[in-house]
Amino acid sequence: MSDVAQNQFNIREYIRENLFPHFMCPGCGHGIALRALLNAVHDLGIDKNQLAIVSGIGCSGRVGAYIDANTFHTTHGRPLAFATGLKLARPDLEVIVITGDGDCLAIGGNHLIHACRRNLNLTCLMLNNEVYGMTGGQVSPTTSADRFTTTTQYGNHEPIFDACKLAEGAGAGFVGREMTLQTPALRDLIKEAIAHDGFSFIEVLSDCTEIFGRKNDMGESAEMVLAQKADFRSVSYGTEIGETFKPRGMKTGVLLRDDRPEYAMAYKRHNEKKLKQ
Amino acid sequence: MNRRVPLKADTPAASSAPERPTNVLIVGVGGQGVIMVSKVLASLCQELGYQVKQSEVHGMAKRGGAVFSHVRFGHTVYSPTILEGDADVLVALEWAEGLRWLPYLNQDSGTFIADTQHIVPPFACRNRIRGADSGYSRETVHEVMESVANSFALDALQIATELGVPKAANTVLLGTLSTALEFPVDAWKGVISKFVPPKTVEANTRAFEAGHEWALTFDRETRLKEWQEHTARFSAEIARSDVAVTSTLEITEAWCKGCDICVKFCPERCLAMDERQIAVLTDPDRCTGCRICEWLCPDLAIAVHTPASPVEA
Repeated sequence: MSDVAQNQFNIREYIRENLFPHFMCPGCGHGIALRALLNAVHDLGIDKNQLAIVSGIGCSGRVGAYIDANTFHTTHGRPLAFATGLKLARPDLEVIVITGDGDCLAIGGNHLIHACRRNLNLTCLMLNNEVYGMTGGQVSPTTSADRFTTTTQYGNHEPIFDACKLAEGAGAGFVGREMTLQTPALRDLIKEAIAHDGFSFIEVLSDCTEIFGRKNDMGESAEMVLAQKADFRSVSYGTEIGETFKPRGMKTGVLLRDDRPEYAMAYKRHNEKKLKQ
Repeated sequence: MNRRVPLKADTPAASSAPERPTNVLIVGVGGQGVIMVSKVLASLCQELGYQVKQSEVHGMAKRGGAVFSHVRFGHTVYSPTILEGDADVLVALEWAEGLRWLPYLNQDSGTFIADTQHIVPPFACRNRIRGADSGYSRETVHEVMESVANSFALDALQIATELGVPKAANTVLLGTLSTALEFPVDAWKGVISKFVPPKTVEANTRAFEAGHEWALTFDRETRLKEWQEHTARFSAEIARSDVAVTSTLEITEAWCKGCDICVKFCPERCLAMDERQIAVLTDPDRCTGCRICEWLCPDLAIAVHTPASPVEA
């Protein structure tokens, strides 16, 4: 027991305390996701000097800056492109990308599909809060039907983007989805994703309380996360029950695991072969 | 007259049986096999030519409900239930259940056979703090054995586990019961083999023999001494585990943005928002250290510090 106590996760070892309190609004799910990520890093025993966090622009992009590791705050939509270069140059680093729904699916959609296609050993955490929160609450590719945002004053009529299906289709090695309310499950999913050799894509169902929740009268953070819980079911529930119970028709948990060749190794082998010729 | 021994071992007919029937009360926790034990006893008596009446409360097999079964046998049995203070033998498959039914035992000549295993009922766990007192019966084996003259307390589960068949704990108790009733041992074994699954007949026979042997070699003085030692050890454990592990909650006020999520999700309702809209722990005694607030705090402002439990340490 004493050993366990010594190894207990203390989040203050992993954050830049001088930057706290963080800039996020009260009840923002990104903070919970940050905690789950750091706990996963702690559980896997990853050295902070060997950890590189690459983030884009937006509320999600700012999350990376609070982590006391090698952090890289990049341009809008391009964290995966930067991370690809970083991982190829420094394969010894554990590279984790934190991105948002707008950052990853709209502006950086093209980078996402090619990162999935290459299957480079990266972990991509997409914090999905259904809105462009930082710029004032514009509609994003994942905004649910009939939700109000500053650019959909009569409700959103566009169909939503299922990011996990996109990643599966584009060839990611590991795809998962989890909500912030199930924090231990989210931590375990992130652990599995980091351990997976290949591109791992995780959609974290976060909640934007101040911009999105307020405009749609969804209550405070507690009500929002409970509403999420009513909307999603774990894959472990099975298909039949899942279909009847899920209004949004989406599952949480590990959705895909595919052990196809990892990009950096395949690239190295290919080059060696060509150089010999 | 010793009512424990209604018949000579091999007398088949009940002609010489006492007018008053013999009362055996079998109690335990749902799922332990109280009904199986009483059925074995009832069938055995029936085979030997007695009139038997059995009455039970069952359907409590969800581990937690009290289960009891009255078995009355003799020349003629009218009522199926046993009066308080009228049981000749009380067989308890669980320690606290045995104590609960002790008033039913005949105080002068009754025999008390109890398994010392503890199954703490969920309703005894009123305090969810780790290491808190469970409210389980505090009478020690030594105290009870001293106050009840004809008493046998054995760790049947331990005996059965040593034989490799933990599920046969109640067969061990049947073995002990067989020494109190003086029916032929072979008849006991025959009936038991009808009631247990065919694959486990051999194991149950061994368990029965172990219980029988335990009772035959029973020496009250040595056992009392043993139980006293056991008591000392047990109370030392209790004393240590009585120190409830209290978790301390560290709330960094400067980081809290007052989103209310910890207050709404705290299962013990021991958090609240103060007038500055900052989370405060209102009732530290109720905090069980479940860490839900720590997990869900988006501002990373809550840290739960749980010291190592003295029992586990």
